[in-house]
Amino acid sequence: MKSYVKQYINTIENQKKLRKDQRMKKLFLMMALLASSAIAVIIVFISIKGIAPFLPNYTYGSVDFLPFITGMTWRQDQGIYGVGFIIVNTLISAFGAMLLSFPISVLTALYIAKIAPKRIAVLLSSVIELLASIPSVVYGVFASGTITLLVSSLAANFGFVTAGGSSLLAVILLLAIMIFPTITTLSITAIRSVDKEIELGSLALGATATQTHFKVVLTAAKSGIFAGAILGIGRAFGEATAVAMVAGNKMFGPTFHLFDTTRTLTTTMLAGLKETTGLDYDIRFSAGLVLMAVILLSNLILNLVKKKVGKLK
Amino acid sequence: MNETMRNQKNKRRYTDGILNMLTYASSAICVLLLLSIFIFIFSKGSGMLGMKLLTGDYWAKNYMTSIQEKNNHPSTYKSPEDASDDMYWSERWGVGFVDARNENNEAIVLVEAIDDASPFAHLKDESRQNKPSISAESGYLLENLSYQTTQGTTRLAGNIVSQDAKTVARLLDQDAVSINKIYFKTPGGGIRGSLLTTLYLIIISLLIALPLGIGAAIYLHEYAAKNKITSGIRSAIEMLTGVPSIIFGLMGVAVLFPLTKLAGADTTNVLLGSLTMAIILLPIIIRSCEEALAIVPQTLRDASLSLGANQSQTIFKIVLPCAVPGILSGVLLSIGRVIGESAALIYTMGTYVNDSPTLLSQGTSLAVHIYNIMSSEQPNFELACAISIVILVFVFMLNLLVKLMSRRFNKAWY
Repeated sequence: MKSYVKQYINTIENQKKLRKDQRMKKLFLMMALLASSAIAVIIVFISIKGIAPFLPNYTYGSVDFLPFITGMTWRQDQGIYGVGFIIVNTLISAFGAMLLSFPISVLTALYIAKIAPKRIAVLLSSVIELLASIPSVVYGVFASGTITLLVSSLAANFGFVTAGGSSLLAVILLLAIMIFPTITTLSITAIRSVDKEIELGSLALGATATQTHFKVVLTAAKSGIFAGAILGIGRAFGEATAVAMVAGNKMFGPTFHLFDTTRTLTTTMLAGLKETTGLDYDIRFSAGLVLMAVILLSNLILNLVKKKVGKLK
Repeated sequence: MNETMRNQKNKRRYTDGILNMLTYASSAICVLLLLSIFIFIFSKGSGMLGMKLLTGDYWAKNYMTSIQEKNNHPSTYKSPEDASDDMYWSERWGVGFVDARNENNEAIVLVEAIDDASPFAHLKDESRQNKPSISAESGYLLENLSYQTTQGTTRLAGNIVSQDAKTVARLLDQDAVSINKIYFKTPGGGIRGSLLTTLYLIIISLLIALPLGIGAAIYLHEYAAKNKITSGIRSAIEMLTGVPSIIFGLMGVAVLFPLTKLAGADTTNVLLGSLTMAIILLPIIIRSCEEALAIVPQTLRDASLSLGANQSQTIFKIVLPCAVPGILSGVLLSIGRVIGESAALIYTMGTYVNDSPTLLSQGTSLAVHIYNIMSSEQPNFELACAISIVILVFVFMLNLLVKLMSRRFNKAWY
């Protein structure tokens, strides 16, 4: 911003003041740069640590990259690290949760934003806010106390035996619950920001209120709703502690069966964390790097899809 | 013609009804979800809530004690008036016992009440060198007690010979002339250490993140020109919100651990956790601070500048004081985030529950404490839910405060 101090009161004292002002500006700039450099620091350092095990001069005996990325077994005790099936598991659980959570979230958002009487809408949005503010460990405790029981009795009905309820289905249910508030909040915002005139136009053409809500409002808000879905799936990928409580950490895979135990990238990074040196520790950085890549790639793809979906009329 | 129209109308009404029902049903699901979480957590955990949980140690301590010589004789003590019915009072030794069950559902005998003058209030700790005098306290587990009978023989009482509270009290009253050794166990299962660690985390992470975040927000909102560099900085900060917390944990041990090593740490530690949390909090603080700055009217700035104040004076004396409520709500949100965070802290502070945490030792926040409990072979759901209640109460209170504040200060308050 320009200096607002006029030239004709340009005394020594004013100059001092100005210089101090300039220094403050530089200080604030430094702070902003420092805050924004955090993301670069994260990417650079995790890349360095994560790539290290694949380099030939790695201290604890280097790991081959190809078997790592395509491997179907992860056994810390035998030193076999294959992350391929874990990537598949992570994708399955996250998209499964999305499949389950998305319709319910959008319908709830529609109810809150358009259908519900004002009091109920306020009440329901506080319910969503409360759900959003519950920490993930608490969801984990809830899941391992109730969802696992539910899943194991469901499995018994179908004649399957689960590992105490820890299963892919439990993970999907848990993640669906956890991403529900995220998608709903963003969908509400998107639906509320739909132009009132479009709605009125639809009503004037003879459509019923419900037809307008489902065909016009949701279509107009789809870009925002999709953004919510992308955010939700990002959260599902990165969720660690709660998932670790119900996943069961299978050592090989991939897991396609709903009642079988599973292993995601985050649970792999948390499991058996004891030493802070050695290959077993460093390989977690590689897993973290893979997680970041998975999130980034799926975000890119989903954003492309969003652009395509947004263009459709 | 009329018939078909009516038919169509009915069909329309029918599908509309179904679609509407779907929205009602999904809203009902979300309410049911919240209710079931509450009911589960509160019904399981409320039994363990209490001051003992909040102020007690997590690890049980063992005390091998004997009674100080001058007190080691029976006399007569009155049972306290507010004693519960299931307490068995030993009149001659001034101590009351109750039956209880431990986490493995085994019967145990606990000390319930002690008379101030009772021999049990004048013990010495045999396991330490200078034998400091201690007192038995309510809640101590009576593991074993050896006493001298009137015939001069030594007998054992307590958990080790699987007696119940009634038998112990009766034996003490009828047979014991003096007591040789008492072996107590403290109850454990408290969360004082984790509460302390959480407090450390909140204070230190805010001390670092708050000035940095406010500074960055001031630059972005008050100084920065609208160009590519600014939007680059903005999106870099925005990207931080999308990073999963476990990645922050990795960053903490990779980047910040050497820093705490300089401070003298040799393991992962609370300070490292706080530094990592500070980075996690940055985008939250920057965003809420920017929002707060945005609602300060431009006229105030103009007035200050036209009176001859320079830009930094205007910021510190006019703009920031007006933005305080918004910044405060950012602080509250950050506190909520610190309380709920777990994955990043597991990497940077370890999962060992520490009863006396320091900045450079390992420790667990409340959330990590829950994770520690849940990752054991036989998780103690009651304790995990009790800690969850503590967390939920904190988090909901913070959310309520933020809401009240934003309602109160939404309009200009200056």
